[in-house]
Amino acid sequence: MPLIEARGLTKKFRQAVKEPGLVGSLKHFFTRQYKDKLAVDHIDLSVEAGESVAYLGPNGAGKSTTIKMLTGILVPTSGSLVVDGLVPYERRQQNARKIGVVFGQRTQLWWDIPVVESFNLARDMYEIPPRRYKENLGQFTEMLGLAEFMNIPAGKISLGQRMRADLCMALLHDPKLLYLDEPTIGLDIAVKDRIRKFIRSRVEERGTTVMLTTHDLGDIEDICKRIVIIDNGKIIHDGDLAKLKDTYARDRVIHFQLARPPESIEPICAELPACELATDGLRLSVRFDRFVFAAGEIAAAVMSHVEVVDFRIDEPEVEALIRKVYLGQLSLDSPSQPAPAVVEA
Amino acid sequence: MAADVAAGTRSAAAARLVAARRLVYLYFRCLGQQMKAIMAYEANFIVLMFSAVLVQLAGLAFIWAIFQRIPDVNGWTFWQVVMMSALIFVTEGVGSLFFEGTWRLSYLVYTGQFDQMLVRPISPIVQVLAGAVGFNGLGNIVTGFVLIGIAMANVPVQWTPGRVLMLVILLVSAATIRVAINLASAASTFWIRSPWSMVPMFVHQLGDFAKYPITIYSVAVQALIVVAVPFAFVSFFPTAFVFGVEAWSLAGLLTPLVAIYAVVMAVWIFRVGLNRYESSGH
Repeated sequence: MPLIEARGLTKKFRQAVKEPGLVGSLKHFFTRQYKDKLAVDHIDLSVEAGESVAYLGPNGAGKSTTIKMLTGILVPTSGSLVVDGLVPYERRQQNARKIGVVFGQRTQLWWDIPVVESFNLARDMYEIPPRRYKENLGQFTEMLGLAEFMNIPAGKISLGQRMRADLCMALLHDPKLLYLDEPTIGLDIAVKDRIRKFIRSRVEERGTTVMLTTHDLGDIEDICKRIVIIDNGKIIHDGDLAKLKDTYARDRVIHFQLARPPESIEPICAELPACELATDGLRLSVRFDRFVFAAGEIAAAVMSHVEVVDFRIDEPEVEALIRKVYLGQLSLDSPSQPAPAVVEA
Repeated sequence: MAADVAAGTRSAAAARLVAARRLVYLYFRCLGQQMKAIMAYEANFIVLMFSAVLVQLAGLAFIWAIFQRIPDVNGWTFWQVVMMSALIFVTEGVGSLFFEGTWRLSYLVYTGQFDQMLVRPISPIVQVLAGAVGFNGLGNIVTGFVLIGIAMANVPVQWTPGRVLMLVILLVSAATIRVAINLASAASTFWIRSPWSMVPMFVHQLGDFAKYPITIYSVAVQALIVVAVPFAFVSFFPTAFVFGVEAWSLAGLLTPLVAIYAVVMAVWIFRVGLNRYESSGH
């Protein structure tokens, strides 16, 4: 039985249609016009306990709406949804005990009182046993480096500090499920790194199930094994991150720095069929399918013809891949259909 | 078997009691956080206290002005009317001091900050109620109680223990009705999605009708404040009961029932509204 099970989950919003200006507003006041927006359109999703899922999509794709339905904030328009045996919006309070939620754009902390007081309130709300609370707070304080601002009101700490404190608060009661909606938005690299490490430790040590939305692909590679992509309210990809890379990002590029400009690259081309070669002065780059050639073979073939001073390998970039998906240049398959062996993206 | 069932019922009742105690405890914990937040801004705190005193003085001046002009309203004596106003003051004060959060609901809903209340393991209603502290309420409470004291000293009433107990019950019921009305009108924000919904203010102003005997109004207004928005049970009927005004005192006994009705309705309206909640920024 999956931890999260959604079938045909749909959320429709009614939006007021107004013409611009005062006249438009007046007109709207007398003749109300609305149009429906399908934010989430019949999605099927199941997440097993212990999985860490990245939920991706361009702005307005329906990510946050999905998360809000899963957490019980929003009532779905249609479809079924069960999270750990409960329908979240029918049993909000029971559901809340089992989940931790971090919305990057908002805070759960009380703005005007010291951070530690918010934690203490969480302890009372979630009825965390005193020993467990002390243990968790101690551990999280150290891992997230909270000590320096523990006694400062949440309104007076930096964004990075606030996010760390929010993450701590969301996990104090050892939730089974952690929902993160853009947890690293606007943070510097050091803080991002710390946050990712912390989340990974929860996944590894406690088996916490994580559902994460982000625009930062570093988050995904560090935390998630599975990615689900939503666009226009529909899930357009659901699968393993490694497999996605293997299927759609098989190309690697080796860049060589040569001692002399090559006279001709024809002989190298002949040795490396189905590879793309490009030269520019002292530079030579070879694009190849990493399942056809090993990087060593490429290097050996090149070096047997020209003198190489230096070289580097570009790994397939998930970011570029996802960007292509968003732009509609690459259509991924829905999980139900077998993936065709397409090499060129 | 029967013993099992009895034990089951007992433990269910005990569990409910524990749950209720937890709610009250958490309510005061949340409210306490708000208190601390207010104390954090000392200057603001002092201004608030000062304004509370001002409201108090304004309230007294208002009553004095009435005293100068109308010694007798439609057969109701001055001190009876003072009692009605005083009950409106006290309940308004209780509403602001302990349940000011209802006034913030429309803002929370409009901005989507209300989301947070739905992912915590406590009733969102308790969180809304405990969402703010209005120290200005203190002025109203003090003014109200002073006026109640003076009014009672000036009206010849036989004070039996039963009547004193009933006064306490009526005060609690009146405050409950007031808070329930606030909550229900605040919940209108789930339908009217504007940052500052005028509905709660409008409903709140209806309370002013109940500062005077309802017999001076038309049937429509009476129906409004007796049935639809039962402010009459906050002030008029309890006053009639306490001062033993024959024609109305029996209805005064209904006040606790009306309080229960008001709470049930408010919770129901809130829940129906909650299912319409759409958050913000999808």
